[in-house]
Amino acid sequence: MSSRKMMLYILMRVIILFITVVTAYSLTFLLLKFMPLDAVDFVISQFITSPAAVYQDPIVINTLKEGLYDLFGLKGTLLEQYISFLRRVFIFDFGPSIISFPTPVTDLIRNALPWTIGLLSFTTLMSWIIGNLLGTITTFIEIERGGVATKFLQSIAIVLYPIPYYIMALVLIFLLTYLIPIFPLPGAGGIITFEFSFENIINIIRRFALPALSILIISAFGWNYISSRTLTLNIVSEDFSIYAKLRALPDSIILKKYILRNILISQITILALHLGMIFSGALLVEVIFALPGLGTLLYKAINSGDISTALGVLSLSIVAVSVATFIIDLIYPIIDPRVRHR
Amino acid sequence: MSFLKLVEKNIASLMLNTKFRIGFILLIFIIILGSFSIFSPPYYKQWYKLPIDQPPRLSTGVLYILGTTTNGRSVFYILVNAIINSLVIGLFTALIASHIGLFAGIGAGVKGGVVEKVIMFLADVLIVIPALPLYILLAMFLRKILTIYTIGLIISITSWAWPARQVRAIVMSLREREYMLTAKLSGMSLMKIIMSEIFPHLLGWHLANFTNTVLYSIASETSLAILGLSILQEDTLGTMIYWALQYGALYRGLVWWIIPPVAIIILLFASLYMISLGLSEYINPRLRKLR
Repeated sequence: MSSRKMMLYILMRVIILFITVVTAYSLTFLLLKFMPLDAVDFVISQFITSPAAVYQDPIVINTLKEGLYDLFGLKGTLLEQYISFLRRVFIFDFGPSIISFPTPVTDLIRNALPWTIGLLSFTTLMSWIIGNLLGTITTFIEIERGGVATKFLQSIAIVLYPIPYYIMALVLIFLLTYLIPIFPLPGAGGIITFEFSFENIINIIRRFALPALSILIISAFGWNYISSRTLTLNIVSEDFSIYAKLRALPDSIILKKYILRNILISQITILALHLGMIFSGALLVEVIFALPGLGTLLYKAINSGDISTALGVLSLSIVAVSVATFIIDLIYPIIDPRVRHR
Repeated sequence: MSFLKLVEKNIASLMLNTKFRIGFILLIFIIILGSFSIFSPPYYKQWYKLPIDQPPRLSTGVLYILGTTTNGRSVFYILVNAIINSLVIGLFTALIASHIGLFAGIGAGVKGGVVEKVIMFLADVLIVIPALPLYILLAMFLRKILTIYTIGLIISITSWAWPARQVRAIVMSLREREYMLTAKLSGMSLMKIIMSEIFPHLLGWHLANFTNTVLYSIASETSLAILGLSILQEDTLGTMIYWALQYGALYRGLVWWIIPPVAIIILLFASLYMISLGLSEYINPRLRKLR
């Protein structure tokens, strides 16, 4: 693809990204607008009754109210409200949080974000690689030589596929902290910080091992395994693989050059479509293991009725998932020559 | 009568599919377990009036076969109530969302033009947005009027999008076929074409999708419940886990309280997934070799 065409492709994708995000925010705005409850009164009443409200100073409450009216865009005409709402969510200005009052929502999110990104990127990448390699190789071996092991793996995959991460998390907690106490109970095992020391890193690994494992098992043996298996079965019966076999190419080359490459492409598309779901699942795993990420922040926000923080996490999720999908779309022409030449 | 025969014949041949058979039997087992909910004492329904700090026990009599919780309720009856309520949420969502998806997809596929563009754009946006945070925001506001049915409605808001996309793809491929042109040229009305030429092709797919939506909706309700945003005074599989976690069942070793809902969720999801796999294989014989 010429560089001009490439630029055009990127530009188109940026426009689509922008429209998607604006539409998502507009939907949120409409939903907030037509909610039968007055959002601001709801938040204020939660704030006054919550234990976090040490600042019962009327001036503080008034500033809070002003900020909320601004955030929910309740000032001026409908159009003005809409624009002010959009402006706020685009520059990530959600005002002060309620769970730790004077701290802005943005600061809370900034502290929580690295943990979530770390957990998510590690598990998504690992499960993608493990699941696809396992699915492709075992299916290939099964076709070539037949095998009972794949049958067994597949039954496991069918059971694991529909299970949410947090259910797996509960099962793992039961098995590995209650029956065989190897890992610390959720929430126990020391405070973790961003500090770079040996002790802290060991702590982080101990705290994150089980959550990462519960996401890994489900997404590697669940949809990565199942979909790569289905794809392998399809590709093996395609003309080019039959031809390669007739040419007496060694199995390893057929697997590497003919099958894995094709699977890689389709699996990246599926990954882009699943990101939203993976993200939501990971948030809940964080809650169950009391990890200091976005999920736990959201949980705390919900339990004290802190709508501004919840809205902050929501907008960030929308942007994060859309941008991740966008990046995958940009990688796409690099790995798939068919897209490049179109 | 002939319709009944047809259903009977189809189910008989569906039962030949191993996945469908296992899933179906599991589901029947779970429904039978759930139907014990009829015998549950009525005061259980307002359980928050019960005293909260009773020592949880294990197996003392038939009623307490799975032990009791911290407010002295039988885990068995909570479980059977939870199964029924969760299934109702799932079915309600599936009835709404999968049908909206079906008709939006057919509409987009048949009409084309602006209608198609708008519907598909909306569907694409809803697919990209992470659904859970959206549900959370809605559930936070609607907490006071949250019932089994409003939960179903909240989940329906996004779960029609994916089916709509798929239905449209199927309808688009049907649209190009010869017999559709014949039907159009022979003067059949649009409605009649949809009903007699398109719908039969979608029926099997729609059933599989219906099952998937039931699964998805029960899973979403459970996710909301774990965050404490479901109908906490009602028993569902999700709220059961929520309360068990709130009362520290994991830390105190009250395994009989936390294991049943987790086990039932795993069984239920596996059974629904196998049913939908079986249905897909049944309507698309090419998938059968992928056993």
